[in-house]
Amino acid sequence: MSGPPPIAESLVVLENVSRFYGEVLGVNRVTLSIPPGITSLVGPNGSGKTTLMNLMTGLVRPTRGKVRVLGITPAEPEKLFRLLGYSTQFDSYPKGLTGYQFLYSFLRLFGMGHSECDQLAWKAIERVNMREAANRKVAAYSKGMRQRIKLAQAIAHDPRVLVLDEPLNGLDPLVRAETIALFREFAAQGRHVIVSSHILHEVDMISDQVILLSNGYVVAEGKIQSVRSEIREHPMQVLIRCNRPGALASKVFEQDHVVEAKVHADGGGVLIKTRDADRFYRMLNQIALNGIEIESVAPADDNVNSVYEYLIGGEESTK
Amino acid sequence: MAVYKRTYKGYAGALTAAWSRFLILPRYSYARLFQSKFLIMFLMACFFYPLGCAGFIYLSHNLSFLKTFNIQAGRLLDIDARFFVAFCTVQGALAYLLTALVGPSLVSPDLANNALPLYFCRPFSRAEYVAGKMSVLLFLLSLITWIPGLILFVIQASLAGWEWTTANLWIAGSIFVGLAVWIMVLSLIALAMSAWVKWKIAAGALIMGVFFAGAGFGAAINAVMRTKSGTLIDLTQVIATVWSKLFRFDPTTGISVTDAWISLGVTCAICLWLLARRVRAFEVVK
Repeated sequence: MSGPPPIAESLVVLENVSRFYGEVLGVNRVTLSIPPGITSLVGPNGSGKTTLMNLMTGLVRPTRGKVRVLGITPAEPEKLFRLLGYSTQFDSYPKGLTGYQFLYSFLRLFGMGHSECDQLAWKAIERVNMREAANRKVAAYSKGMRQRIKLAQAIAHDPRVLVLDEPLNGLDPLVRAETIALFREFAAQGRHVIVSSHILHEVDMISDQVILLSNGYVVAEGKIQSVRSEIREHPMQVLIRCNRPGALASKVFEQDHVVEAKVHADGGGVLIKTRDADRFYRMLNQIALNGIEIESVAPADDNVNSVYEYLIGGEESTK
Repeated sequence: MAVYKRTYKGYAGALTAAWSRFLILPRYSYARLFQSKFLIMFLMACFFYPLGCAGFIYLSHNLSFLKTFNIQAGRLLDIDARFFVAFCTVQGALAYLLTALVGPSLVSPDLANNALPLYFCRPFSRAEYVAGKMSVLLFLLSLITWIPGLILFVIQASLAGWEWTTANLWIAGSIFVGLAVWIMVLSLIALAMSAWVKWKIAAGALIMGVFFAGAGFGAAINAVMRTKSGTLIDLTQVIATVWSKLFRFDPTTGISVTDAWISLGVTCAICLWLLARRVRAFEVVK
């Protein structure tokens, strides 16, 4: 039985990658190691998300640096593209084809035979719940259907790495939930699902890790919580629900690491800003022993939105 | 980091030969093209002249027909190099019109629909994409040019006998080479124009314009500069020069055969350069 693959062969690696379009910066000095799971690229328009995706998929060669997808470089397209499934941000399909023809003909480009392509095309169509519309022309599809058929073409050849540019745009809530479930299923099988998005709460909900981009630079990467904990200059916010919020506020404010304690608008809790989360949580144990009944403790700003705001500040904001 | 079960297993079945994958592209192109009744009618019209030529060849060898109409053998038009040059000229002109009809629908819809990244995120190169798209034109143009040309030659050879065939076998080669070069040039121009103009009608007009503008500017240069060099940008004159040489006549266009070949080579190179600039997986947004 063969052992697990070497670590580099299970990562999408970018080493000091820069890409310029003439004098226009795409991305600059990007170094990333993306493990399996759902990874979100977050950033405003023009931050370099699509360029980064094009670099990962080998569609754009870096001006400097190296890209390796599961140990394979873009110089080996025959191997690389069998591992990769890509869905572009824009409506992207040849004119005049039905949903089925679209999937079937693009599977044929992988060199598979007729019966395999037919089988895989229908399987992918089923996975995105498009069977009834499969024989209609793609041009007549709604925005949501076009998103789903694009996703189907990306997953049809059963890739190990899925790179999806804004895949949830235009989907209704039900289909959105189904699509997220599909991403999770792929991730649970040890595959990479790399998505770009500017809808931050969605990213927060689905991602194992995030990569935050601004003006072509990676400004932070990792799990949302670890990225948040690295931003020392911004106090961490914690919402504590308890029976005596006023008493709790006055107690915690005595601590030097607490910079703000504010009774919540509904009067049922306190919003506390602290510079030292570890000391704060130790102190909270003491308080709990001193007669204040604590119902819940929840971080209030370890989501992508807050992290992004802290990192990018007033320079720019996501849509 | 989360621990994942590695349950994924990729496709491990047989694969088709890599060289043959470009043939996937014409699959739906033909289906789409033949939805146009006008195109079907035009394509049928392209066979009228070859059919007329076939009838003429047959009748010119039919003694009873000649006797009926009291025509002496040899008084009808000779079936020789001039006959086949006339065939190439007529069918070459029809090939040009067919190119203007078919060419714009090849690359421009893919560009307009942002479909190129889809092709190139598969084990499929830009050269294979161009070959695939070009094969649509090459097949259709071959169908109305050198294929009927060679059929006519075979008909003539079978009726005229072995002596005529051995003495004129070079004509078959000239038909093939002359028309193959022409359809190659037409296809490259059509693809290049289709890749640069996303709007089909404008791309069609541009394909026509390349020839008309070339002829117009060429004539203007010749008149103003008192030279014949302007003819080098008139592709109809250039190909006529090449055909003259292939069919063993003296060219009457005023340019040398070498210059004509160079002109065709430069045209093809420019088209390939234009295609290389446009057929790629991404658009640079500045």
